[in-house]
Amino acid sequence: MEKIKNNVFVKKAGFNKLVLACVLLLMYIIFAILSPSFLSYNRILSALNYAYFLGFLALGVTFVIATGGIDFSIGPVMFCAALISGNLLTQSGIPLAACLIISLLIGTVFGVLNGYLVAYWNLPSFITSMASMMIAKGVGSVFTKTQSVSWPQKGQANGGFRVFVKVTTDNGTQIPTGLLFLLLFAMVCAIILNKTKAGRYILCLGSNREAVRLSGVDVKKWEMLAYVISGTMAGVAAIAYVGAYTTVQPGLGDIFNNEAIAGCVMGGTSMTGGIASVGGTIIGVMVIGLLQEGILAMGFQKDWQYVLTGLIVVIAVYVDVRSRKRKI
Amino acid sequence: MDKVILTMQGIDKSFPGVHALEHVNLEIRKGEVHALVGENGAGKSTLMKVLTGIYTKDEGTIIYEGREVEFSNTREAQDAGIMIVHQELNMLNHLTVAKNIFIGREFMSGKLIDDKRMNLEAEKLFDLLNIKIDPTEKMGDLTVGKQQMCEIAKAISHDAKIIIFDEPTAALTESEVEELFKIIRDLREKQLGIVYISHRMDEIKEITDRVTIMRDGAYVGTLNTEESTKDDIISRMVGHVIYEEPKSVSNVAPNAPIVLKVNNLNAGKMVRNVSFELHKGEILGFSGLMGAGRTETARALFGADPKESGDVFVNGEKVEIRNPKDAVKHGIGYLSEDRKQFGIITEKSVSVNSTMASLENYMKGIFINKKKEKKIAQQYVESLNTKTPSVDQLVVNLSGGNQQKVVIAKWLVRDCDILIFDEPTRGIDVGAKNEIYQLMNKLVESGKSIIMISSEIAEILRMSDRIITMCEGRKTGEISISEATQEKIMQAATLRN
Repeated sequence: MEKIKNNVFVKKAGFNKLVLACVLLLMYIIFAILSPSFLSYNRILSALNYAYFLGFLALGVTFVIATGGIDFSIGPVMFCAALISGNLLTQSGIPLAACLIISLLIGTVFGVLNGYLVAYWNLPSFITSMASMMIAKGVGSVFTKTQSVSWPQKGQANGGFRVFVKVTTDNGTQIPTGLLFLLLFAMVCAIILNKTKAGRYILCLGSNREAVRLSGVDVKKWEMLAYVISGTMAGVAAIAYVGAYTTVQPGLGDIFNNEAIAGCVMGGTSMTGGIASVGGTIIGVMVIGLLQEGILAMGFQKDWQYVLTGLIVVIAVYVDVRSRKRKI
Repeated sequence: MDKVILTMQGIDKSFPGVHALEHVNLEIRKGEVHALVGENGAGKSTLMKVLTGIYTKDEGTIIYEGREVEFSNTREAQDAGIMIVHQELNMLNHLTVAKNIFIGREFMSGKLIDDKRMNLEAEKLFDLLNIKIDPTEKMGDLTVGKQQMCEIAKAISHDAKIIIFDEPTAALTESEVEELFKIIRDLREKQLGIVYISHRMDEIKEITDRVTIMRDGAYVGTLNTEESTKDDIISRMVGHVIYEEPKSVSNVAPNAPIVLKVNNLNAGKMVRNVSFELHKGEILGFSGLMGAGRTETARALFGADPKESGDVFVNGEKVEIRNPKDAVKHGIGYLSEDRKQFGIITEKSVSVNSTMASLENYMKGIFINKKKEKKIAQQYVESLNTKTPSVDQLVVNLSGGNQQKVVIAKWLVRDCDILIFDEPTRGIDVGAKNEIYQLMNKLVESGKSIIMISSEIAEILRMSDRIITMCEGRKTGEISISEATQEKIMQAATLRN
């Protein structure tokens, strides 16, 4: 065991991440044995659909968790963005490009709000994001007068945004472009987190905020930035969501916070801050996507997914806490 | 003659790296007030913690009321009648006085708390002590002095036989001190044993019968207060042996320019009208007892805590320091007394910590230039002789002395000219201590200027070119090194206004 852990390749990739990747593979095999239909390409596409929007949410919230904070508003913010921009697109005839940008901006606004309150007013992120979660839910409902919003279908006018999720070739093959975009965003996030000043300060202030502040760093600015990234990514996730599922209902979205945060934690991002892994987050959301598809494929009630996700999170956090205790 | 209630004999206690108590003796009689004195870190608190069961002793015996005891927690000590009145009071401010006194052993009538009876009993206690406090008042509405009296009442209600007062007058006004002394005398009358921990010689002369003196964890001796002078006690506290050679003359050139000037700095209760100057190439020692306001002064100067008023001049120019960022911009670096909390990021590497204050100089476009970063970190690992396998090592894995060197490296990488060392050698072993001293000397030789806050007088005497003493948030003295002695410093550091 120690030998495996000390292997150069394993060390570089991270032991926890490799274990999680094995879990992902194992889950796929189990589902395939239990339900042979699981091997079909469509099932994989469907699992990926779920992983896209969740992936964007999780990538964003990874930054917040890295600071030692939490953002419970991302799911409802995603829905709020999808509702408002979708309503503008279908009811007010605003051009598609503008609506997509509005979606991002709505996310950014919530990010700025959360970040400002947490960093400059020193409010606890738990409460702040819970409040903005409620605000996001309310604003989305009020704006659409509690009507659900259906974004245009593929081939319809303004349906072009779907290329961000899936492209169908002439002979009917579906190409999961969403995966491409998700990985692209993940790469950018990984670079920000590991190679730039922003990422360095975000991770360090998550470890020891006072030490960073006393080094003359403007910690408030960098802490706020983490929330802005998180909010904006929720705006991106909104586009991925409607690209896969078309219809958004007002008043929902909180369950996705939990799943996105679960994805981060599974991937080895520490809830106490200071340690974050973008790669782990991506594998984590893949596990959740696969899980929900597998449960559907086996004909179980959908809600089992939550039970299993919950259990996996507990195990992941337990492993995380244990490994850290031993070090100290 | 068997008035002795407590005998602690040959108490020995070690912590990793520190021999905190070395064969300490203490004897308390019924009806006496017994002072326990010593410098910061002399082991007074540790001894009391051993007595009340917070720490377990390694060696020695405790004989209490004629039989050997060993308490395993404060509750057991309490039940036996040994109570501490702490420096910081442990009261619940939103509860009434009576509820605080009887917390955990409330009078009941059936399943309900009997408030009436509790108030009555509290009143009885206060009568016994001749104190006028309304038991139904909220604890938070009382003055600190009154709160302390409630704590004493609580001790009495526990049927205390020994009461330990830990710096009881630190937060009291003159008239409150008088009132406290009246109560203490009264308790003495009632044949209780009183342990009185204090730094204030005047009070010790006034109230105590005997004095036990400790130094560096060792027992120095016990004197009858009446037969000894203040100087007797002080000289025994500081000792005559100085392990490190003290500096005899200042190394600062007489015409050295003033690099930092602080005028009438005010910040809260702990920093009152502090003014001083720092010359180029000088080590300015800040001496004082715990809670004298030295760290608070440094933090206010550095912008770590808000200040109310005061002007700061760097190299003759007035500067506005609102936060640490401003301070760093003007070339001031602060090395905190608590490295783990304020100095380093333990979960990050040596190189990440080294560039924490100057990352903008180690960028290539928007990316961190990790090669350059590691190079500079490596350079300081070598020049400071930091013992680490590589600059990628996490700081948590280094020893205290080497962690301190990483913090120093952080400010040297930033090229700060004014360095504030707050307790630079706390928790560092002797060898590493010497290295830090040499390093500080090298720094001032190269033209840097240092403010050194230290609670060790020996350290102050060895390192400083000039010494400022503080007491209760005020500057109480400024002594040049050629005139400084332990006694002089101690005297100035205990001056009350």
